[in-house]
Amino acid sequence: MQKETCYHCGADCNSGTIYFDDKPFCCNGCKTVYEILNQNELTCYYDFEQAPGTIPAEIKGKYDYLDNEEIADKLIEFNDGSTSVVNFYIPSIHCSSCIWVLENLDRLNKGVKTTLVNFPKKEIRITFKNEETSLKDIVELITSIGYEPFISLEDSEGKKAKIDRTLLYQVALAGFAFGNIMMLSFPEYFEVDEFWLNKYKPFFRFLMFAFSVPVVVYSAKDYLISAYKGLKHNILNIDVPISLGILVLFTRSTYEIISQTGPGYFDSLTGLIFFLLLGKVFQQRTYNFLSFERDYKSYFPIAITKINKDNSHVSIPVHEIEKGDRLLIRNEEIIPVDGIMINGDALLDYSFVTGESMPVTKISGDKVFAGGKQTSGAIEIEVLQSVTQSYLTQLWSNDIFSKNNTKNIKNITDSISKYFTIIILFIALFAGVYWFFIDKTIAFQVVSAVLIIACPCALALSAPFALGNMLRIFGKNKFYLKNTNVIEDISRINTLVFDKTGTITTNKGSKISYEGEHLNDLEIESIKSVLRSSNHPLSRMLYEHLPKTELMEVKNFKEILGKGIQGSVNDLDIQLGSASYMDIDPEILLSTFTYIKVNNKLKGKYIFNNEYREGLKESFQKLSKNYGLSILSGDNAGEKQNLEHLLPENSQLLFNQKPEDKLNFIKKLQEKENNVMMLGDGLNDAGALAQSNVGIAISENINVFSPACDGILDAEEFKNLPNYINLSKKSMSVIKISFGLSFLYNIIGMLFAVSGNLSPIVAAILMPLSSISVVTFVTLSTNFISKKTLNS
Amino acid sequence: MNILFMLIIISLFIAIIFFIIFVRSVKTGQYDDVYSPSVRMLFEDEIVKDENVDDNKTNSK
Amino acid sequence: MEKEQFYYDNKIVRMFLIATILWGVVGMLVGLLVAFLFIFPNYMEGISWLSFGRLRPLHTNAAIFAFVGNSIFTGVYYSTQRLLKTRMFSDALSKIHFWGWQLIIVAAAITLPLGFNSSKEYAELEWPIDIAVVLIWVVFTINLIGTIIKRRQRHIYVAIWFYIATNVTIAILYIFNNLELPVSAFKSYSVYAGVQDALVQWWYGHNAVAFFLTTPILGLMYYFVPKAANRPVYSYRLSIIHFWSLIFLYIWAGPHHLLYTALPEWAQNLGTVFSVMLIFPSWGGMINGLLTLRGAWDKVREEPVLKFFVVAITGYGMSTFEGPMLSFKNLNAIGHYTDWIIAHVHVGALAWNGFMAAGMIYWLAPKLWKTDLFSKKMANTHFWIATLGIIFYALPLYVAGFTQASMWKQFNPDGTLVYGNFLETVTQIIPMYMMRAFGGTLYLTGFILLAYNIIKTAKAGSAVEDELAEAAPLKEISSKRVAGEKIHPWLERRTILFTFLVFIAVAIGGAVEIIPLMVVKSNIPTISSVKPYTPLELEGRDLYIREGCNNCHSQMIRPFRSEVERYGEYSKAGEYVYDHPFLWGSRRTGPDIHRIGKKYNDNWHFNHMLDPRLTSPGSIMPRYPWLFTNDLDISNTSNKINAMVKLGVPYTQMELDKAVYLLQNQAAEIEKNLRQDPEFVKNYGDANMKDKEIVAMIAYLQRLGTDIKTGETAQN
Repeated sequence: MQKETCYHCGADCNSGTIYFDDKPFCCNGCKTVYEILNQNELTCYYDFEQAPGTIPAEIKGKYDYLDNEEIADKLIEFNDGSTSVVNFYIPSIHCSSCIWVLENLDRLNKGVKTTLVNFPKKEIRITFKNEETSLKDIVELITSIGYEPFISLEDSEGKKAKIDRTLLYQVALAGFAFGNIMMLSFPEYFEVDEFWLNKYKPFFRFLMFAFSVPVVVYSAKDYLISAYKGLKHNILNIDVPISLGILVLFTRSTYEIISQTGPGYFDSLTGLIFFLLLGKVFQQRTYNFLSFERDYKSYFPIAITKINKDNSHVSIPVHEIEKGDRLLIRNEEIIPVDGIMINGDALLDYSFVTGESMPVTKISGDKVFAGGKQTSGAIEIEVLQSVTQSYLTQLWSNDIFSKNNTKNIKNITDSISKYFTIIILFIALFAGVYWFFIDKTIAFQVVSAVLIIACPCALALSAPFALGNMLRIFGKNKFYLKNTNVIEDISRINTLVFDKTGTITTNKGSKISYEGEHLNDLEIESIKSVLRSSNHPLSRMLYEHLPKTELMEVKNFKEILGKGIQGSVNDLDIQLGSASYMDIDPEILLSTFTYIKVNNKLKGKYIFNNEYREGLKESFQKLSKNYGLSILSGDNAGEKQNLEHLLPENSQLLFNQKPEDKLNFIKKLQEKENNVMMLGDGLNDAGALAQSNVGIAISENINVFSPACDGILDAEEFKNLPNYINLSKKSMSVIKISFGLSFLYNIIGMLFAVSGNLSPIVAAILMPLSSISVVTFVTLSTNFISKKTLNS
Repeated sequence: MNILFMLIIISLFIAIIFFIIFVRSVKTGQYDDVYSPSVRMLFEDEIVKDENVDDNKTNSK
Repeated sequence: MEKEQFYYDNKIVRMFLIATILWGVVGMLVGLLVAFLFIFPNYMEGISWLSFGRLRPLHTNAAIFAFVGNSIFTGVYYSTQRLLKTRMFSDALSKIHFWGWQLIIVAAAITLPLGFNSSKEYAELEWPIDIAVVLIWVVFTINLIGTIIKRRQRHIYVAIWFYIATNVTIAILYIFNNLELPVSAFKSYSVYAGVQDALVQWWYGHNAVAFFLTTPILGLMYYFVPKAANRPVYSYRLSIIHFWSLIFLYIWAGPHHLLYTALPEWAQNLGTVFSVMLIFPSWGGMINGLLTLRGAWDKVREEPVLKFFVVAITGYGMSTFEGPMLSFKNLNAIGHYTDWIIAHVHVGALAWNGFMAAGMIYWLAPKLWKTDLFSKKMANTHFWIATLGIIFYALPLYVAGFTQASMWKQFNPDGTLVYGNFLETVTQIIPMYMMRAFGGTLYLTGFILLAYNIIKTAKAGSAVEDELAEAAPLKEISSKRVAGEKIHPWLERRTILFTFLVFIAVAIGGAVEIIPLMVVKSNIPTISSVKPYTPLELEGRDLYIREGCNNCHSQMIRPFRSEVERYGEYSKAGEYVYDHPFLWGSRRTGPDIHRIGKKYNDNWHFNHMLDPRLTSPGSIMPRYPWLFTNDLDISNTSNKINAMVKLGVPYTQMELDKAVYLLQNQAAEIEKNLRQDPEFVKNYGDANMKDKEIVAMIAYLQRLGTDIKTGETAQN
């Protein structure tokens, strides 16, 4: 049949196309949404965009916890008893139609009064009336029409960061003053001595002064402050020369207008500050789209079902869980705390914690750790530790993380500015002394002129712009960095350390190999048939793996969760499962596998090998040329052989590494004066990631990452890693060149300055010119090199 | 030519008024979201007396 | 307390829309009339109120304030209600605004042809009407701001910002440019003199263009273009930047209208710099507008509304590019005083303003009358005819401009002018004038099609006076915001009130500022030999203003060799110190006459005014027979002198007391001169010309520019 695309979400409707209003739908969810919208005359939802919808998520009891007063209150921003306001982050907002339908929620639920969408932020603000509807209803409603909100502990902790607009005000003020001062200072550039002009000079100059005061006091305050702080700690950061320039500019200009000796440099002053701030704004913009706020809590349910003594269920917030509580973990729920399995069979997926793809079986009495996702039916656990002390949190609160934030390698600009400042001061001093003997009157002028023209605005701008731009380019290529310093760090590294599972192997799909005596077609058929009835991930994997055959009826099928399955097909008794299930003593073979018994005779085993990321080998080859490589694996040496032929000889291979080991390994490397980049995944590597100079989390889905890392690399782009590192190096050289450029300007300016004829107009032209040209240079060249490198 | 005093003063006053308005509007969050409004203004909110889907559609066109 | 239901006021929108069409036709008709006067100067055979000098102000005022003005109000009243999700603040105010504005227009349409005219371009209306304008404008402002306060939509869409800007600035500009000292019910003198008056006038003139013909239309663009294309504006952020940068730049650009005049050079250059800077926000806006239609070009092909918008925006782009170019001194030296300027403004008016209005009307009519447009085909025809019209209008005038400018400047090897006789440079471009008239006719035809189309649509449709809508009240939510998250409405209201008060304060402050400036004489460096006008000359000057001579004759000789050669010593700021108002003019359809005084004898002027073609064959200047029949009205002469004294003109006590006596003496003097010509005696022997207006006119013309002997320069 010809491919039809869903009228609602635009996905291809495969076999099971549903028709409604003679429109095709890919799934019932989409159809339902259409129905809802249709009934409520919201169908013009479909007028704004083609197939604007998203496939709605499953919701059964998922949001019950929102009925819990305490939780609701935490999420609700405001509640006056009758009306409440709540703010949700909805990742699936993606087009103008979303705005339309979400802002018409009130037609779907009369309790809703208004909804206001902030599209760029993907946020929705809902005002609703308590007596007519509830938070839960609303969440379920928007989820059912495909806009599942992102709710997490975090939000409920209600640390609503108030938007800080200071910078915006500062720029606005500077720009405004700059414009007006320009227009007031121009006349004196055009004409020197004109009847009217002379009459106006004092007035104009006063106005210029008046305009520049707030600019210096308010707009430039951050520079002055940071310079002051820097000096207090004897650091000559870039802000020192800048502030120096600003202050000298201001005082000298003020002196000039008071002493009637000249128009001053107010236009240069305000212009300079304006451009500096513009640069800042640009930086801010580039970071904002990357939020490193989320921490591991985001992955936890914010409420959990507690089983009381009388076996009644009550849902409580996670932080209320106490030692000894009994919790009900439903299917697909995440275990919030460490505990002991009480009943049920657990099949726990720890992939988000450890990156291990294989779900782990736990039976009653086993210890279960926080962060595992239950994947087979409901279980009950008894809490061992309250949230704060659970294993994850301990690993979390390892001081290494806090170190990570304060770890400040002095960045290139600051390190240069140190010498820069000193040199400038010397020149100023020298020139001053020289002129003092030639002509006392202009000595002061010269000194101030030197300090003015030396003001390294271009210098200050080039690095932020270059790196900021790189940040954006990396971001476009699914390589997200915490901040610009990371790029500098990357450019310095000489050693790479990889975690194995989930980093160089994918979590999706594994290779399956068979060991043991040959199985004839009949046996394979039978095995496949048996597998068919099992829901276990391994079974499904194997089922897909085995050749297609017509299937036969299975008699007395039996599955013991987490152990194995059995059944008899055309008088063959098939058994698949673990050693214990087969009651044979387990071998010391250290990879995931399952035994096969036919008619109680052990035939052999299927071994599940991890799949390596595409382009892994090539990348390693490229990297090994310039960097030391090592691989640390959390699990057994089962993969040793495969790895070895993937890797260049000189690289190290270590297995059975506990998080601490990884961390120490990196420590050792660093003690040997190595700059280490650690590529890991999941919280287990957190320590290592933080310890390393650059910690990069590889992730299949960029919203899942460890906060300890300096960046996230989308798994698909793994093969590009060498290019990215290479690019970082190149961008650093671009910056160095741009420094050269801005020095050039400074030197030219110097010539004017020391020779004692830096007229306001020269300053007014030279200073913006240098900033602008440098900025354009770095922006263009970074774009250029990235095009070249990434397309090669 | 003292007229220039006047013109400049007036012009500056106007400029400053607008500057104040600008800061105010930023403060009140006018420019927090610089996309949605451009879409929102496309939605028609007139209610059609006889409520039926088609009218509603034509309205939103 | 659910959503509130409320009604949009469609009636007022419809009224303004109809007014737009009506005045559009009138304004263009008058324009056409005027255009034909260039070709057939005689066809109004001496009907005073249909002479070019009086119709031209009527045309500009009708086009700007009646046609464009009403179209702006149409759009503002429609979009504001919907963008803010509320009915207008007060229906009463809306009605007052509408009828008041129409009344003003009617008043203008009557007074201007009658010659009640303060001579300042786009501000010709006499003081009583000025006051009315200000009052109505205040009504509009209150209505708009009131609506903003009671809005149901938190965010104020960028269009509204443009409206606000228009409101505030126009008010201030208009007030300050029209500060006049009344002499009688329909006569007043500008409080500023000469250069100062010129500066204020063009500061206003430029910003009238900026804030009346540009910002509000941009507001309309940002509303109607996205609406018509049903897709959001290309970049909303850009539109916001566009607005604020435009606001902060426009104010300064005024002086570029006075390049090469007696204005201090640095002030001129300032104007240039800012005009050039203006190109960035302007083009930002244009690009934003055009890119909004990206991907909708298929729609543009069959949708006349969008067609109009596209051309309109393009027109905006062209004139905002041309403007800064013209403010470059060397280009301005060519363009100024020629038809280039006329072409420039008409690209703006016909394409940008006219087509925005047309597009808007075609889009609105079906909505207002709840039916489909009577004929899309006709609308398309209108589009093509009008577009042709614009081309036929603009291109010939550009050619005319260049031609005339170059002819003015051509020298023979021996240093004499190639076209010594100004007339040659006029007759040369008559064909262009014909084509221009043709273009105008096309444009008008198109517009009449629109009128017909809309009438038909209205007939077919059913007018919905008030349109029901619903939206949740804003207060409800906002008052319940978490503190600090967003500022409460009351504070917001206070903001608006606050700015409004500041604006009032500015007006008062400014006024206080200037009154002393104006009165103190010492401000103006005087040239000893420059003396006030005699009573008769003053009366003559008022006739000169009444007949609108300044519409065709400049009184400002620029310091170019060609102009000094042609007209005489270039003009000095010091010569205008007693000119309330200034009469520099902005277009030389006829030659500059600042040095006309004593160039010809009285009889020449006499005959020339009687029939220009007697003295200068081929001239296209109208005849002024009524000057020869009307008695000169001397009832106000002494009042006028008094007024002048109030404005700091140094008349002696004697002149004050004996004003009329002096006047009659001088008149008799002139009649005596006239009688020296036998021809005159033959024809008018018995008529005593000394009581007629013509005498005053001659007296004034003979005085012009004679105060300083060639070579003597001002001390400024």
